[in-house]
Amino acid sequence: MPGRTQVRSATVIAGLAATLLLAVVAATSFGAVAVGPGQVVSAITRALAGRTLVPAEALVIELRLPRVVMAALVGMCLAAAGVLYQALFRNPLADPYILGVSSGAGLGAALAFVVGGSGALALVAPPVAAFVLALGTIVLVAGLATRRGVMQTLSLLLAGVAVSYTLAALTSFVLVLQRQQLSRVVFWMMGGLQGATWPQCAVVAVMLGAGLAIPLARTRELDIMLLGDERAGELGVDVERTKRLILASASLMVSAAVSVSGLIGFVGLMTPHAVRLLLGPDHRLLIPASVLGGGVVMVLADLLARVVLAPVELPVGIITALLGGPLFVWLLVRAQREET
Amino acid sequence: MTVAILRYAGATVGYRDPVVSGVAVAVEAGELVGLIGPNGAGKTTLLRAVTGGARVLSGEVMLDGRPLHSLARKEVARLVGVLPQQTPTGFAFSARSFVEMGRHAHLSGFAATLGRADTAAVDRALMLTGTEHLASERLDRLSGGDVQRLTLAQALAQEPRVLLLDEPTSHLDLNHRLEVLDAVRALADGGLAVLAVFHDLDMAARYSDRLAVVADGGIGVQGPPAVVLTSETLSAVFGVRAVIGRDVVTGAVQVTPVVRDGVRPREGAPRVLVISGSGTGAALMRRLALAGYAVCCGVLAEGDTDAEVARALGVPFTAVPLGTVMSVEHGEALRAAAAESDAVAVVATPFGRPNVGNLRAVVEQAGRTVLVGDLSPSLDFTGGEAGALWRRMAVGGARQCTDERAAVAALEEVCDR
Repeated sequence: MPGRTQVRSATVIAGLAATLLLAVVAATSFGAVAVGPGQVVSAITRALAGRTLVPAEALVIELRLPRVVMAALVGMCLAAAGVLYQALFRNPLADPYILGVSSGAGLGAALAFVVGGSGALALVAPPVAAFVLALGTIVLVAGLATRRGVMQTLSLLLAGVAVSYTLAALTSFVLVLQRQQLSRVVFWMMGGLQGATWPQCAVVAVMLGAGLAIPLARTRELDIMLLGDERAGELGVDVERTKRLILASASLMVSAAVSVSGLIGFVGLMTPHAVRLLLGPDHRLLIPASVLGGGVVMVLADLLARVVLAPVELPVGIITALLGGPLFVWLLVRAQREET
Repeated sequence: MTVAILRYAGATVGYRDPVVSGVAVAVEAGELVGLIGPNGAGKTTLLRAVTGGARVLSGEVMLDGRPLHSLARKEVARLVGVLPQQTPTGFAFSARSFVEMGRHAHLSGFAATLGRADTAAVDRALMLTGTEHLASERLDRLSGGDVQRLTLAQALAQEPRVLLLDEPTSHLDLNHRLEVLDAVRALADGGLAVLAVFHDLDMAARYSDRLAVVADGGIGVQGPPAVVLTSETLSAVFGVRAVIGRDVVTGAVQVTPVVRDGVRPREGAPRVLVISGSGTGAALMRRLALAGYAVCCGVLAEGDTDAEVARALGVPFTAVPLGTVMSVEHGEALRAAAAESDAVAVVATPFGRPNVGNLRAVVEQAGRTVLVGDLSPSLDFTGGEAGALWRRMAVGGARQCTDERAAVAALEEVCDR
């Protein structure tokens, strides 16, 4: 019987990975200058082989591909964080944006922008500052929502919203100080992916990998913690330790995403939820499937953002919010119905 | 000599503040120890202290001869399984993967798959709880009783040596309740040490080898159910006056609560004398006591149900050894008591030579008497005397009614006159 489950899991993962690759190729071929999918693939293989590139290929490799890859990485980070928050808070409404973690990371990144710096420091400082504040935010929000050891759904959402507003206001204040770059910074805050570079992609990929390592090694604990903290403890899970590790991992991935692409909401909400409906609650499958799914969603959302008003680009955060907002309302209504 | 697997050695447990202090309770292999006590006394806290939900503030809790605080979470989970009061529902896990979660403590950190020993332990747990047929069902589509048995299977998959139960059956119907407790009893007989919190005293008496009372921030009486469950304990601990009997089928101690403590006659309440026996007057006495009357009884044999109930209610009566014929003095005293009462209730009771004196003593009070039920010849073991006395009272103006409720109303009218 485990054999059958594993075959199914492998099929799902392979299917999602293939979809992601197709989406990346499709998104890369679209643009002001049309580049066929075949050319995209050949450009990638030639670049990997270290050959010199013709101008059309250089356009693909230097400009379009980093942006698409970045979209995929950001989607992966946010979806992975969403899965983890939903498991820890046992709440399908938990999402880095709603919990205020994104705003915390945003403030951290904004502070790093203002302080400035150059070279490697400019690359690494924003995600690190984002991580510190993201972690502080989630601890604060979870603390505010907990009364006598019990975390209430409504309190969690309210605390998330309240903290999120405060942090967003602080972020705006910080960014106004940086008036000469205002338009770039505003675009970043609304969630934009243009201007992504390969070194940025590398930083985000490393943070994604580091953020996924612990959760993937502890999927069984995550499953068991769905039964409640007390029961998990009875079954031998060190709940507090696991929680701290998972919160840190999730916040690391959120910080990576936010520091390059600003506040992009609802990807971390939609993707895990859809994957859970399809595949069930087993985290051994849920995490990798959500990561790949998040990549697909984000690449397609970014494609939409470029297509809808072409040649004008929309911030991708607008697309994800338009898709995810209604879903969130539906989930909230359903959760209320279950609670009463 | 057997060594206790779970031992509270002068332990004080609680959260920030102590809840139960100076606990000395030991549970050995093959033994089921029941914890009883009023709500909020700390029974659950005692259990939670073992698995980390509550803290051991002072003293020691020993598991398999080692102090609890020296054991890691997983080590504790390999020794102790818990069946909680209620498990959260609505998970889309399969029943089998739910039970497999019980193996967590036996798996190393990164081993994602179960080994052969783990699979065998899960199979055994499913078998012991009779849930093999549910293995591939989804948890959120099963009934509360099934989920509870699967939760027991999950705990057994831990291969524990101690099982802690926290009112495990309070949400189950009678059939599932017996099913779970029978399974637990069988596990105890198979060598598991079980410590269980019980709400239902009859279930506690039926399934436990020993009981320990948790009350007033500590442990009270401990011992076999028959020693612990006395009317004195029940009154002191639960504030309930109860009759302690024996379950005719299982032979277990059986507790029948009669009234809460604090039920006493109203100021200047009318006096009602109740003539009954063999349990025929129990319901009427209870109703009258709850209504605030000053009730007293005739002569009753020791061990008679009416005598037990009267004692629980604090109703005065004269006790004689079973089978003793009422003496002339008893008869005279009762006649005097009847004359002083505001009303007399005579319940249709099996009358024989020993107790017919009760009827003789009240026969002159026919005008103030309420006859409850009908004294058919099958209840008359006096060769007709009891029947004749009964009829004489009926003819002499006694009211007649068929049940206790009507009797209370009739007695009220008599007293008001």
